[in-house]
Amino acid sequence: MSQARSSYAVGTGLFIVLGFAALAYLATQTSSVANVHQGDSYTVDAQFTNIGQLKERAPVKIAGVRVGQVQSITLAPGHDVAEVKLSIEKTYDHIPLDSVATIFTSGLLGDQYVGIEYGSSKQAVAAGGTLARTRSTQPLEEMLGKFFGAGGVVDNAGGSYTVRADFTNVGTLSVGAPVKMAGVVIGSVQSVRVDPVKLNAQVVLAIDKRYNQIPDDSAAAVFTSGLIGSQFVAIQPGGSPDMLKNGDEMILTQSAMQLEDLIGKFLVNGSPSDKKDAGSSK
Amino acid sequence: MSERLPQQNNAVMQSLAQIGACGLFLLTLLAAVPRSLRYIRETVRQLWFVGAMSLTILTVCGLFVGMVLMLQLYHVLSIFGGTSASGMVVALSVYRELGPVVTALLFAGRAGTSITAEIGLMRATDQIDAMEMMAVDPIAYVATPRFLAGLIAMPLLCCVFCAMAVFGGHLVGVTWLGIDNGTFWSNMTAEVDVHTDIVNGVLFKSLAFGAVVSLIAVFQGFNTPPTSEGVAHATTRTVVASSIAILALDFVLTAFLM
Repeated sequence: MSQARSSYAVGTGLFIVLGFAALAYLATQTSSVANVHQGDSYTVDAQFTNIGQLKERAPVKIAGVRVGQVQSITLAPGHDVAEVKLSIEKTYDHIPLDSVATIFTSGLLGDQYVGIEYGSSKQAVAAGGTLARTRSTQPLEEMLGKFFGAGGVVDNAGGSYTVRADFTNVGTLSVGAPVKMAGVVIGSVQSVRVDPVKLNAQVVLAIDKRYNQIPDDSAAAVFTSGLIGSQFVAIQPGGSPDMLKNGDEMILTQSAMQLEDLIGKFLVNGSPSDKKDAGSSK
Repeated sequence: MSERLPQQNNAVMQSLAQIGACGLFLLTLLAAVPRSLRYIRETVRQLWFVGAMSLTILTVCGLFVGMVLMLQLYHVLSIFGGTSASGMVVALSVYRELGPVVTALLFAGRAGTSITAEIGLMRATDQIDAMEMMAVDPIAYVATPRFLAGLIAMPLLCCVFCAMAVFGGHLVGVTWLGIDNGTFWSNMTAEVDVHTDIVNGVLFKSLAFGAVVSLIAVFQGFNTPPTSEGVAHATTRTVVASSIAILALDFVLTAFLM
């Protein structure tokens, strides 16, 4: 290297300055150093029955604008509600007492945050006060259930008749789930309960009166719509000349397939649980 | 450090002896730090040589790493409709892994080899022995300044690399592929954390890699057989040993820090 001594000293100095400039750039422009810094803030409590994936330091937003963050999430012993402390900047100190704190999800897969919707009260919530009105997260399963279940409920205007069917296992079949024949909704599940004597699930199906030509040896099966869909009861017509009447019992039933059983069957060709099912199914 | 390593036939014993000698050499280097303060100008000269002269390659490589990362992520994330997160993913992957590792690999190739070759040639041409004759401590004058220079240069180079990678990602993502400028930055600032990503990721990792690469380079240089073939082998060994050490250490550091 034939540089003069002062030249490499200057170059090295420039290099060091450049390195630190890059560090400052990384730390200030591309990271959340700004999020850590907070002005004066006050805390407000809110109680939720289910906080889902809410984490500490999650943002608190009003009208979509960040006004603070979640300070702590605790579960008081003996209670089944989560105590969430919200730290809100002093600038936003006129939040009505009857405002609603809701846990939202940003986007479909995004993180959760607390959104505050203003109420109409003249009185503002004080520091250390509590927002009494909260809405918890909606678990995705519930929403999907509502989505799939509600769509299938049949119009019972024409009246319906009820049929009983016993299953060894109904899986996650719930009241209101559709009853389908050939894929078309013909009724809904009226009740699901355990028979205390026979120790199996007793499902009462309400079927629309229009469909009164179902053979009484038809089979009822618990199926799942799609991989993650909700479960429904499918009726596979039999060949008997007699038809199902109000209060009849369906003899041939097929229980819900459970993933574990399926895998078990797959691995151990013909597991003993097959035989147990055979009594109630064909 | 003029004594030769004991001749061992067993390859395992030989590599163990190498690692042990390397560790002892590190202690010798650190012990010589106070003495090498007399040669502070030498440290600055080495800093210029290993640091400032490596800027070009790191700037260009950082730019391209950021660009290609953004290009790949954009196509994958567009399947899920999550292209707005690609800036954040570029920043996180560069800060946590790619930045320190690629900088260290390039540093080993650019600076480590030349340190080894220089010291090796000094040994081959008896300059080291001449220094000892003149009562100049070769460890304090030759080895420690190079080690310190590498230690100081690596974090700085890594910062430059990361900044260039983010710039390259911005160039491809925002300018060419049309990601919104605001979402690009806001997603990035929302997810990148100063402590876990920049201090632990960029600074701490690159400091550790800088120490490992410079130590291996100086050690290999001092243990070069005094022949031209020996210099060639020592240079190769520097690159191989550094690369393995960087990637293995990266795993350990990630497991501990993250």
